[in-house]
Amino acid sequence: MTQVSVTVDDGHLSALDGVVQGLRAHGMQVDQVLDGLGIITGSVPPGAAGALTAVAGVVSVDEQLGVQLPPPDAPVQ
Amino acid sequence: MIDPRRPAVPGDVRRGAVGPLPRTTGRQVVVLAGTGDDARVDWGRVGVHQVADSRDFTDGDVPPEALRDAEATVFSALGIAVVTADPGQVSRLQSAEAAGRPVLSVSPELVHHVLGDESRSYTAGYRDGVADLAGRLLSEDAAPGAARPAAPTRFEDTAQATWGVQAVRADVSARSGRGIRVAVLDTGFDAAHPDFTGRSVTARSFVPGEDAHDGHGHGTHCIGTACGPRSPSTGPRYGVAHEAEIYAGKVLGTDGSGTDAGILAGINWAVTSGCPVISMSLGADVVQVHPPYSAAGRRALQQGSLIIAAAGNNADRRAGDVGFVGAPANSVEIMAVGALDQALEMAYFSARSLPARGGQVDIAAPGWQVYSAWPMPTRYNTISGTSMATPHVAGLAALWAEATGRRGLELWATLLQESERILQPSVDAGSGLAIAPQ
Repeated sequence: MTQVSVTVDDGHLSALDGVVQGLRAHGMQVDQVLDGLGIITGSVPPGAAGALTAVAGVVSVDEQLGVQLPPPDAPVQ
Repeated sequence: MIDPRRPAVPGDVRRGAVGPLPRTTGRQVVVLAGTGDDARVDWGRVGVHQVADSRDFTDGDVPPEALRDAEATVFSALGIAVVTADPGQVSRLQSAEAAGRPVLSVSPELVHHVLGDESRSYTAGYRDGVADLAGRLLSEDAAPGAARPAAPTRFEDTAQATWGVQAVRADVSARSGRGIRVAVLDTGFDAAHPDFTGRSVTARSFVPGEDAHDGHGHGTHCIGTACGPRSPSTGPRYGVAHEAEIYAGKVLGTDGSGTDAGILAGINWAVTSGCPVISMSLGADVVQVHPPYSAAGRRALQQGSLIIAAAGNNADRRAGDVGFVGAPANSVEIMAVGALDQALEMAYFSARSLPARGGQVDIAAPGWQVYSAWPMPTRYNTISGTSMATPHVAGLAALWAEATGRRGLELWATLLQESERILQPSVDAGSGLAIAPQ
């Protein structure tokens, strides 16, 4: 599975439930609906992320980035 | 300071360093306390009878003839009036009894010129300046032991405060961040740290399977810099906004790693919790702007929350590599912070602006050898990074939020407007050193 963040356009911020239904119908497993930001996170099978852009209200679908701090004893963090 | 090599000569009055005194018109520019309200100044009581008010003209467009003929011209949208008045009248304008509303200031109206007209006098001034400098340097050479020019500023940790707290002038600020919620999204927080006893701390974990305790140290260090106490249990002051309310969002695990899901969840929590300041000492070394962070930054600003993020540590300036601002700091809607050393020069690791929109460093702060809190029993630690510069700016943002009531983009603008310009390229330091309200 690929972890993704789906960004919703301004016109659908008050109708996130409908966007979530559309994303599920396109194969996304929805983990979080961040209504303060208009972003929905979750996962999709490999290669299925592109199909999510067809859902009404979706601005972009991006594979999640990871961040990694240096170990605690590193002089530069 | 009086130069001992230049004994004072009676009558030898030196002119201003920038040339002749500015020319004035004889009129006064009066700044009123407010704009656009209907309480007009009682000009008659100070002997001014012909008053042109911009509201009497179409679209507030006051023609030059009216300016010339009237004794007073009021620009109501600006709360400013230009008045023909002698010094006696001026003093009466400033007294509260004489005017219908308070007058903030009265200044002589200046005559301005197109700068090109000044080129000859500028050149002459430059010539005089060079001659003066040459004279001083030569006289110093001729007099061994004479005072040397002051060394460039170099801050040091003292028993009272870290160099960073001194450099940003938090130690001499009257503001404390009281009433301002500061979210620090990082590795969590050591709630048992004795320096935070009695403080308002709300902690929450967005890392699956881990509570909000800081098992790394980075988060406690950043919270210490942003919100540490004015008088720690031992050692120097290291925190900026010492009365801010702490919102510790754990978005990076004990192993120091995290993903968008947790970071975005933390931002969402901070925004909906009403935190005007969100500090994120984290990032990925990717050039591309990441759309979810741009959307999150924009929507946070719209709701009064300013996200401040580390520019990144991917430079090695010792080897000529200036690096680049990574995500999320490379989103135009997120403030990017570079790291300075004690001489207010760039730390060797501090990333440089990308040419693309949003990829710029916006501001800089102390990020080299920064002493702050660390999970017990270690208690304190000194480390470096743009991660350490970021919470300095977050703490300062809390002080400005308290001092001005500003939020979102207005708070962003205030931090940049009030920052101290330094002798570093803007691609590295943005608008310069963030400083505290005084």
